[in-house]
Amino acid sequence: MTRVGMKRILAWALVILVVIVLANLIFGWLGRRGPVQHVNATAEQFEHGRYLTDVADCAACHTNPGGAPFAGGYPLATPFGTIHGTNITPDPDHGIGRYTSDEFFHALTRGEARDGHQLYPAMPYASYRTMTRADSDAIYAYLMNLPAVAQPNAKNDVHFPANIRTALHGWNMLFAAREIPAASAGTSAQWTRGRYLVDILGHCGECHTPRGALGQMKLDRTMSGNNDLGRYAAPDITPAGLAARGWDAKMLREYLSTGQSKRAVASDEMLTVVGLSTSRLSDEDLTAMTTYLLGDEAPAPKAIALDTRIGEGPAQRSYFNLCAGCHGNDGQGVPNVAVSLRENSSVRDADPHNLIVAILDGLPVHDFPGIARMQDMPGFADDLDDAQVAALSTWLRQRFGGQSEAVSEEAVRDLRGSRTKH
Amino acid sequence: MSTVPSRKRPLTLQVNGRSYGPVDVPEDMMLVDVLHEYLGLTGTRFGCGQGECRACTVIVDDANGPREVRSCITGAHYFEGRRIRTVEGHARRDESGKIVELSNVQQAFLDHFSFQCGYCTPGFVNATTVLIEKLAKAPIAQADVESTVLEALNPHLCRCTGYVRYYQAAKDLVMATPGLVTDGPAKKERTP
Repeated sequence: MTRVGMKRILAWALVILVVIVLANLIFGWLGRRGPVQHVNATAEQFEHGRYLTDVADCAACHTNPGGAPFAGGYPLATPFGTIHGTNITPDPDHGIGRYTSDEFFHALTRGEARDGHQLYPAMPYASYRTMTRADSDAIYAYLMNLPAVAQPNAKNDVHFPANIRTALHGWNMLFAAREIPAASAGTSAQWTRGRYLVDILGHCGECHTPRGALGQMKLDRTMSGNNDLGRYAAPDITPAGLAARGWDAKMLREYLSTGQSKRAVASDEMLTVVGLSTSRLSDEDLTAMTTYLLGDEAPAPKAIALDTRIGEGPAQRSYFNLCAGCHGNDGQGVPNVAVSLRENSSVRDADPHNLIVAILDGLPVHDFPGIARMQDMPGFADDLDDAQVAALSTWLRQRFGGQSEAVSEEAVRDLRGSRTKH
Repeated sequence: MSTVPSRKRPLTLQVNGRSYGPVDVPEDMMLVDVLHEYLGLTGTRFGCGQGECRACTVIVDDANGPREVRSCITGAHYFEGRRIRTVEGHARRDESGKIVELSNVQQAFLDHFSFQCGYCTPGFVNATTVLIEKLAKAPIAQADVESTVLEALNPHLCRCTGYVRYYQAAKDLVMATPGLVTDGPAKKERTP
């Protein structure tokens, strides 16, 4: 190629670049201005919007604990970096004050902000994709009638190359435009409503469905559990998974509405979900949720025989030394103090992940909805080595969980090694 | 009712520098009960019985110590091979066992009228003692004393609500003891 030809190409490239930069500036500027919206809502509409905002659990990420409601700032740790919930109060500069209901619906269901930038999929638009326009409008009407908070959005810390927002167009085409397959079988009206509540509004699959290398939900395995998001795993909540750990509709309902049940208490991020969202659901919607989770034909919860023959040994001595003081010398627990370990969901889980993490790290104080509370559990990482934690986990699972398979030392070592990462 | 039969195992404890045992102790018995029933050391208080109030706190001196351990929720056999200090072990005694001088922490609580009914006091004495010993190894800046005292004593409950005087006593003691605060009074030469 001649020198002149090269120069010509470079000149054109420069022109195109300048045009793109200018267009970005102009459209960005146009996008940021525009009239401040005022939305009228009756008391009933406002209440209805508040209810749906609870069901969709917007507060979990958009309200920073201790901060102003929906003013953003909550840091969400993801494998791609830390993403902060944004300000969704009606503030015209930092919030959604200039969003029309069309733009709000578009952001919620397509993951594109008013100024045209792509939202990170930490915003569950892949789940909200088929939210009804009426529900979106109701949430919009509620948010737009909250006090505006002039709080700037926190800077995200997403690593390269995941921080190239434009690339999300491709991600969205591949992964966000898909129908979410049902996690259970059913046809009833309750089941259908439940599917909408669980998959769309409640976006349960965002944590409970395993994710692929690009962070996409693996839709061929919806709700089958995810070990990679936080310190604690989101367990398998398919009908088969729930039944294997002994859950029935009544227990699930109790768990979702109070955070406590015979099988487990809500901990970690799920405790937030219960507090901000599921405990505020109507009776009908709770029934719909459990109907969908278990399916119209709910599988019988698996019965296990507690193996009382398992006794003496170092693992049992660890149990008496460190666990029995609160959980009781036969695992029965103490109401409002420590959970029963007998048939406990995490003890019964085929994957010992959460059991090991609880033993190593302990658990903070649990404040359940209302006045119920459970005290903190100390962690025993300093008291027990890998072999002892593995032996104790194995003993607990055999004794109280109907799981005969031994927990490996390697599993404990891995989880001990990742202690500070989360 | 428990379906696990309660077996006994011999246990030897090192408490306040003295060795006790071996004595046969049920393997599911908590330390506080052994202190009370087998060793006659009744100074450690049984409060809530669930590890919440910390009245039962004792000090353990092991590889991770000195540290606080709640004796009402920790099995006695856990302490095999570990050295324990209870509230009885702080004051200086003469050869007949008579107390001749309180520890600095005990004296500070008395001077500040920190406690009323006294039920939580053994826990506070042990927690503050651990705090002082930790600060002796890792002194802090004067500006951090208040928050450090709060952090150390916050888990301890006092139903008479004597918190302010406990915290004040602990803070004054930290400030007055040489070597605990980096920008405080200089460490004195120790005479052997």
